[in-house]
Amino acid sequence: MRMLTISSVFIALASAFMLYGLNYDTRLTAQNVQSLEKRAEQARSDISVLKAERAHLARPERIEPLARAQGLAPATEAQLQRPQVPSGIVTGSTGTR
Amino acid sequence: MSGLDPQQPKAPRRANLRLRFAMVVLTVCGAFACVSGQLVRLALMAQADVAITVSDAIPQSFARPDLADRKGRLLATDIAVPSLYADPSIILDRDEAVEKLQTVFPDLDTAALRANLADKSRRFVWIRRGLPPGIAQKVHNLGLPGLAFRNELKRTYPMGTTAGHVIGSVNIDNKGLSGVETYIDAVVGVEGVLGATRSRKPAVRLSLDLGVQHSLEDELASAVNRYQAAGASGLVMDVHTGEVLGSVSLPTVDPSRPSEANAPDHLDRITAGTYELGSIFKIVTLAMALDDGKGVYSLVDTTTPLTEGRYTITDLHPLGRPMTVAEVFTHSSNVGAALLALEAGPERHRNFLEDLKLVWPITTEQGPVAAPIVPQTFDRISQITVAYGHGLAVAPLQFAAAAASLINGGIRVEPKFTFQFPGAAPGTGARDIVRVVKPETSARLNDLMRLNVTDPAGTGRRADVPGYNVGGKTGTAEMPGRNGYREKAVISSFLAAFPMKDPKYLVMVSLFEPKASAETKGEITAGLNAAPTAGRIIARIGPQLGLMPAGLVAAAP
Repeated sequence: MRMLTISSVFIALASAFMLYGLNYDTRLTAQNVQSLEKRAEQARSDISVLKAERAHLARPERIEPLARAQGLAPATEAQLQRPQVPSGIVTGSTGTR
Repeated sequence: MSGLDPQQPKAPRRANLRLRFAMVVLTVCGAFACVSGQLVRLALMAQADVAITVSDAIPQSFARPDLADRKGRLLATDIAVPSLYADPSIILDRDEAVEKLQTVFPDLDTAALRANLADKSRRFVWIRRGLPPGIAQKVHNLGLPGLAFRNELKRTYPMGTTAGHVIGSVNIDNKGLSGVETYIDAVVGVEGVLGATRSRKPAVRLSLDLGVQHSLEDELASAVNRYQAAGASGLVMDVHTGEVLGSVSLPTVDPSRPSEANAPDHLDRITAGTYELGSIFKIVTLAMALDDGKGVYSLVDTTTPLTEGRYTITDLHPLGRPMTVAEVFTHSSNVGAALLALEAGPERHRNFLEDLKLVWPITTEQGPVAAPIVPQTFDRISQITVAYGHGLAVAPLQFAAAAASLINGGIRVEPKFTFQFPGAAPGTGARDIVRVVKPETSARLNDLMRLNVTDPAGTGRRADVPGYNVGGKTGTAEMPGRNGYREKAVISSFLAAFPMKDPKYLVMVSLFEPKASAETKGEITAGLNAAPTAGRIIARIGPQLGLMPAGLVAAAP
């Protein structure tokens, strides 16, 4: 009987410590998760800004004068060639559609 | 009870003690079991129940999916921007705050802000939303208490004004106001968010092709310049699916400035305006006659002008002899087209227009298309005028879809602004096929359109592009003014398709009020301004669309 009482006291103490430990661990992990989520959200937001910037820089309105300044011009029918052997490298929509 | 008898109590008391002890142990064990049960429950449940409730109603913005062109190039996206708000209950010196803010925002409405900040019971007052980072830093540097930032989503359009009419615009809360943005609200769905959480939905793919759209815009802008036009519109459509690859109306609008789009001259001339398109409407009349079994070489007596009441219909360049049906098309004879329509009869004429969906309003992803203006009764005079493109005003988009249905082999298509995945197109079994004309009729009409470009007397010969087999029809329509039609103010249009052997794309160009110049030999007819513009557009977009010029196709194995 006495053994049971003493052991239960110890078990109670041990479980109390364990629970507190777990509690703090959980809070720490939750905090960690939150900050990671925040960082992921920030990264996602940064990605969207960068994508928008890239699209803005690649807009045809800007590229066209730059390309023309390099001596380039829209393709003419004389420049088009049909590949003799069917290959994966085909100009035009075959690759994109 | 036990206390009354001093002899008896010892034995039962001990028994009682043991029972009590057992009961205590049981109760404690039970309590522990409850606690551990609750712990297990909490551990197993997700952590989703942590919610912050805000008592003040804080305005929310909407997270919208991105917009991309048919090849996935970004047209619109949400980015997080700081928005400035004030908490009047914390602001110490109202006048100081307003004065200091005015140094950063010179256009600040100080009276309204003062009134808003006076109400100390409010906890939230927007001051300026969607600030650039530099401005936000300046406000931060003022060091005023009670001012704070909240990250919000703001719609941005990296392409500037490109495709502005199609895209539409959103309001300050990121809710769709016009164009495809309203379609996103209604069909794809937007989520209300408190912070700056981006939408997780995949990008909405439009049918537009950025390269085609830009080329169209560029060529039309130079046409407006060259012919001193008040405006222009252009459309590129896939004749089999009805997908719009490019839709331009000049002057353009900027999607990030919604108020600009309301100005009457910034109206979308493709969907929001209806016009009497003139002779390009003869495509419809001729298709009806050909479908009724009229031969290309059957004669039409166009020698005498048509009279109906006080109206007399004449031709610009009468031949002085009866014309063949083909000549009615290539010489763009008003009398001939009218006679062909009269021969079909009012009922057939009206039904044909209804089959082509030219009579009732239509809706696309860009929103409702301006309703066509159709004559109330289909009497003789309205039949005559409709035959050559007057008396019936229709939005260019709606007409282009009808023309595409006639050119593509006779299957009706509806205009689409979203990407149609291959296999979903009509004619591949995924949807009901509505046939408007026989395949032979379509083939004959295509031959006529090609003839109109190759024939030395054809009105469309300046639209020819070597190798692309262009066909088309011109139309010069006088614009209605205060006192009848204005002779010098016209809409000159060209409706082209290519390659004519197996048409794939339709190009429709309209120039509004072009002026005569030396280059156009002092004329303002479509053959001299709209047709060459269409030719330039086709020469530029043909290679982009992956179409091989005909000469090369023939040489291929």
